[in-house]
Amino acid sequence: MVKLRARCLLAGDAAVGKSALSHMFHSDGTLFQKNYSMTTGVELLMKCVNIPETNDSVELYIIDSAGKETLVEACEKMWGELSLLCLVFDLTSEQSFANCSGWMERVRAHCQGLQVPGVLVGNKSDLSARREVQASVAQEWAQSQGLEYHETSAREMENCDAPLLSLARAFHSLYQERRETIQNLSPG
Amino acid sequence: MIDSSLSSLGAKVVVAASSDENHPPENIIDGNTKTFWMSTGMFPQEFIIRFAEPKKISAVTVDSYNVKHLKIEKNTSQNASQFESVTEKEFEHTEGHLQSNAISLNGSSATHLRFIITTGYDHFVSVHRVNVQN
Repeated sequence: MVKLRARCLLAGDAAVGKSALSHMFHSDGTLFQKNYSMTTGVELLMKCVNIPETNDSVELYIIDSAGKETLVEACEKMWGELSLLCLVFDLTSEQSFANCSGWMERVRAHCQGLQVPGVLVGNKSDLSARREVQASVAQEWAQSQGLEYHETSAREMENCDAPLLSLARAFHSLYQERRETIQNLSPG
Repeated sequence: MIDSSLSSLGAKVVVAASSDENHPPENIIDGNTKTFWMSTGMFPQEFIIRFAEPKKISAVTVDSYNVKHLKIEKNTSQNASQFESVTEKEFEHTEGHLQSNAISLNGSSATHLRFIITTGYDHFVSVHRVNVQN
């Protein structure tokens, strides 16, 4: 049995639903905040995810960081050393998707060459009539960045577990990979 | 062959911040670099070694992987609390083989040594052997 711990950054533009998703993660899909209240700093939530078919689990320390441009720089100081990335955009806002590459750049620079597994999440999938970003386009970009793609609806509580499970699995396989490397090291 | 591992001298690891049951903290003091304790994510990470009796220590040797910065604290009490800092060291990055470092403790007397790994070169670090020189 192994209990892993990972610091997971929730990033993306303001109002794409990062906090709604993180509360959904945290409450196992029972709590959707109906009123919008902008996150102006950094909120920390802890969520334990079991890796299916093993006795192992990953404790995710989810850092819900403000998306508003003017606040990002101050918040970045509180990101710390990241283990995982959950990048969120709004399926009904082409702009929020376009800005994802800027977010990737910022996170990459922050991590200084450390490999940080991640997922791309298109949120608000319930608003299908207003969709501006096609799944295939998002999927393709995610792949080019080495991210796994998921679509969610925090409001309809749809598919909200999927990104977390995918992050936990990615960290778990990174651990196993590193453990194997360490087992094969020669003495100093 | 002289068996001089810390565990054979009655030392114990009394605290470790991470646990993978296949790589328990006892592996740090068994004198064998093939066995190791591995951190399971995030920093800082720490472990505390308790000696059977107060010990004068001139230096410690640490065999590890991906450790970037290590702080060492000690105490002379029976409990694993109220530590004072002794020294700290930045380790060099190695690839394919272990980091092997000797750290001078200037003959400090201690019953517990606390090792705090504040940062690493990767998400996970491992410690394969800690030994002390009297």
